[in-house]
Amino acid sequence: MSREAVIFNVQRFSTEDGPGIRTTCFLKGCPLSCVWCHNPEGISPRPQTMWYDVRCIGCRSCVDVCPVGALTAGDKGIKINRSTCSACGKCADACPAAAIEIIGKSWTPEALTDEVLRDSAFYETSGGGVTISGGEPLAQHEFVMDFISRCKGAGLHVALDTSGYAAPAVFDPAADAADMVLLDLKTMNPAAHLELTGVPLEPVLRSARSLGETRKRVWIRTPVIPGATDSDENITAVARFIADNIPGCDRYDILPFSNICASKYERLGMEFRFKETPLVPMERMEELKADAERAGAPNVVIQGLTTRKPQ
Amino acid sequence: MDCDCGSTGTMIWKEADTLPPRVKRLRDEYFSFYERDYFRNEALGFSTGAQWDVLWRSYNWGINPEIFPFFAAIEDSLLASAVIVKTPESFWKLPLVRRRSLFFSEVLRKHLPAQILEGELIVGAQFNNAMSLCLNKAEAKGFRAAQKKWWDAAQVLNDTGVGNCGAVPGHLIPNYKKAVEIGFAGYAEEIKAELRKQPDERKRAQLQAMLECCEAVPDFTSRYAAEAERLAAAEGDAARRAELAEIARVCRKVPWNPPETFAESLQAVWFTHMLAMFSESYPGPGVSHGRIDQYLFPLYKKSVEQGMTREQARELLMCFWIKHNYAYDFMGRVGANQGINSGFGQLVTLSGCGPDGSDLTNELTMLMLDVIEEINMLEPKPNVRLHRNSPPELVERVGGMLSKAQGAPVLLNFDEASMRGLKWQGMPEGELWDYAPVGCLENAFQGCDRSGTVDVNLNLAKAVELTLNDGCDLATGRRIGPKTGDPAAFDSFDKFYAAFNAQLDALLDVICECVETADFVRSKYEFIPYLSVLVDGCMENGRDINEGGAKYNYITVEGIAFGTTVDSVAAVKKVVFEEGRVSMPDLVAAIKANYEGHEKTRQFMMNRAPKYGTDDNEADALAAEINKRWTERAFARVSPHTGKRFRGGYLSWNYWIAYAPFTAATPDGRKRGSFLSNGIGPVNGMDRKGPTANIRSVGKVGLESAPNGASHTISVSPSLLRDPEHVTKLSSMLRAYALEGGTALQVNVLDPDTLRRAQKNPEEYRNLLVRVTGYNAYFVNLGREIQDEIIAREAGVL
Repeated sequence: MSREAVIFNVQRFSTEDGPGIRTTCFLKGCPLSCVWCHNPEGISPRPQTMWYDVRCIGCRSCVDVCPVGALTAGDKGIKINRSTCSACGKCADACPAAAIEIIGKSWTPEALTDEVLRDSAFYETSGGGVTISGGEPLAQHEFVMDFISRCKGAGLHVALDTSGYAAPAVFDPAADAADMVLLDLKTMNPAAHLELTGVPLEPVLRSARSLGETRKRVWIRTPVIPGATDSDENITAVARFIADNIPGCDRYDILPFSNICASKYERLGMEFRFKETPLVPMERMEELKADAERAGAPNVVIQGLTTRKPQ
Repeated sequence: MDCDCGSTGTMIWKEADTLPPRVKRLRDEYFSFYERDYFRNEALGFSTGAQWDVLWRSYNWGINPEIFPFFAAIEDSLLASAVIVKTPESFWKLPLVRRRSLFFSEVLRKHLPAQILEGELIVGAQFNNAMSLCLNKAEAKGFRAAQKKWWDAAQVLNDTGVGNCGAVPGHLIPNYKKAVEIGFAGYAEEIKAELRKQPDERKRAQLQAMLECCEAVPDFTSRYAAEAERLAAAEGDAARRAELAEIARVCRKVPWNPPETFAESLQAVWFTHMLAMFSESYPGPGVSHGRIDQYLFPLYKKSVEQGMTREQARELLMCFWIKHNYAYDFMGRVGANQGINSGFGQLVTLSGCGPDGSDLTNELTMLMLDVIEEINMLEPKPNVRLHRNSPPELVERVGGMLSKAQGAPVLLNFDEASMRGLKWQGMPEGELWDYAPVGCLENAFQGCDRSGTVDVNLNLAKAVELTLNDGCDLATGRRIGPKTGDPAAFDSFDKFYAAFNAQLDALLDVICECVETADFVRSKYEFIPYLSVLVDGCMENGRDINEGGAKYNYITVEGIAFGTTVDSVAAVKKVVFEEGRVSMPDLVAAIKANYEGHEKTRQFMMNRAPKYGTDDNEADALAAEINKRWTERAFARVSPHTGKRFRGGYLSWNYWIAYAPFTAATPDGRKRGSFLSNGIGPVNGMDRKGPTANIRSVGKVGLESAPNGASHTISVSPSLLRDPEHVTKLSSMLRAYALEGGTALQVNVLDPDTLRRAQKNPEEYRNLLVRVTGYNAYFVNLGREIQDEIIAREAGVL
């Protein structure tokens, strides 16, 4: 197995992925396929070719250099035949306008550590650090373990942002190595979980309970998806689970659905079933927040776009 | 004068609802430009009556190209409307500096109106003016000839987009600390002592002139006392009558005698300050207070101990604050936005470190921050000094102020980087801690330093254009720099870079030569004995401030378009010579065609090169090299007439916009007319790795060789500051800036209008971060609908 990981973004000055100012590393590849996924480019483990219509100047350099003829230029711009495209990157290199990007680049743990260390001063003053996210970072768990130990060796605070869907032998050591875990609990209904994410709920709950047993510092997050996870019953159930099982949880984020990722789906040639779904009203988020608080979840925070700004 | 420190779309009309009624009335009165017929601080002309009299000095305005076309008209109308000040027979026999002090004193004793506005506690209203230089016929002729020499050269430099220069007034910190401690009476004693031991006739004349100015001050402030007494006699309200009686008492006391209470100190500083602006004639831009929370603190503390309440101190400070805004009064009824642009830069400096690196924040610091936020007016401009030991409560307070997007913008100065520069400049190491910025953010020493901080503004990107056109301006064909050869024939980066360096050297030389002429005219024909009193060194040296009498004298060259220049050189290096994606002849042809018909070339140059501002070591190394070369060359030069040494800095005011049409297309993909980069910051939208990378790039420039300091602006969306948790994150970023960044920072919180502009011109806003569900995103990469949503959301806030 390669020492390197495929990473689709290293985001500096992350202020939404854990305490303080952080650098978030998004590892590519995820065993889940949540129907609302807001980072669809994180699902496939392989590099992918993305075309940005707004940047394209129509010079067709990409079409000319493609060794397998996967690109065609038409009325609606560049079309990528994803069954033949190997994401070799020749088109991206030839494009003068940076309108084609290969999403997903290989990083060695050394190089990634050097990159995240650049903002050490900002982590120090803010109590921040590194967040390892995805995709599902534990899909590349050997890399993750190596990277965590390098970060810890350099004195950095590490947060692991995970779906919790991983074997105990993978999840537990990684959670143990990190300083804190950001864990998604999407729905407490096993059938719905399987339907909406493509994977069973039970391994996720096992991971969550394991965090509870070790009293690891945890933030739980639930995406509030209309018609999927947004019922009072579901939020209450998640909150109750937190109260009963995860004593180390000191914050519960409820994240209102956003359709911000619709353009990414288009660029990847994927369908997005929530394209036309409106944002959740703030009033509704406040009701859910009250549900969660009643059920005993600590420090409930609404994080994200709604149709009204909180005061 | 308009001073662009990067503020964008800042609203200044926010209604302050927590103000005391008196202050609210005074604030509303200030803004009532159209109704306020009984008082306007418009420039009054004062002339000797000689037909050759000179009131207007073009070189004072040499850095304001937007009014170049009106110079002649302004000069004529000032002369035509000027009050003739009667002078004695002996006047014309006096040395020039004595004529000036006599004239100044006459104006103060008889002509400058003394007016007290309803309810105000700090008085001193009229100060904008244009005062005769008091030249005799031969001097006037010499003045005009010398000024014309500067003017002819200055126009060429401006018209070809090289830059501008002049001998600009203000931009210094008079020694208000000493004025508060010893009063003008104390100054007069010191000058008399100096006169007793000074044998040199010329220097004696200077000292006598300074003494005469000191002695005119109490005569002037007594006129305010008399006015207060007159108003008191007619006042029906007992409380106001008592206030007026108190005003009369204070005006008979200060600033001749040292103040003994906080209220007296504010009145003393205001009189001293308004006369400093007055003495140089309108407008005295950038006359700054320095560390006012430090030198007023002893009297503040004393008054608190004697029973002054917080409310009383706050109200006094607000009355004091409002006065500064009248510097704008001449603009009140003209132009957009009520004619008020972003500032004169009467800077007040708060907090900062002490001699041992510990922090000097005190109760007055925090009270002044409250006043700044509540009163929310543009002047005086607040500046907060931060350093590694700044207390968390101060940094949090500043973060909180920034988070209120439409509040008064607070400029932040960073002590460690600023002091490194001043040390490099050779300032005494034991005194570095007590520096303060003037104008916008230009670092100087307090009370002893005239560093000519905006005298020269040089467009660095012009050197790139000249390199690509063998030394000639592309638009006019005019030769400006040396012949460095046909650029299409450069076959290595080294050849290109050598030519670029030769052009930049030549530009620096030509603009320095031009400003030296202005420096000469001013040193010979314009004496400011009043201001010379307030700047240490002038008395000891027996020289006027304009002759270089201050203890420290510099002429600062502010580099414009640094980021554009670095990105351009980096693009040639990478795209042309390292990767060969574009050939040199193709690039030259594309630049000459303003990239019309060369879009592919433009895209390669823009997208395939390392960018300054992204923490890219390659680009940052070039940035450091370019900075070092020109700033060290500047520092090697001395103006022959005054002995002022040149020094570098990066404050590009509004020239990054103004010179955009005068700068040809650049190899970073920019077309003629697109904005140049601002201050020390990266090209608009090119800091694509976010603020931390941007800050690190600036930190790597090696700014100590630009000891003036550098303007750095970072924009964030209000959504990043939506709650206390995020305000704390911003505050943490400021703390890290002290370790990693440059000398001065302005944080822009973007309003919906800016977001709308970003929607229209995504190229320029590619770095704009907004917060969306659970993470931050680059605004321009979002779909149109979600952008609209975010704009709508922001519009609903604040």
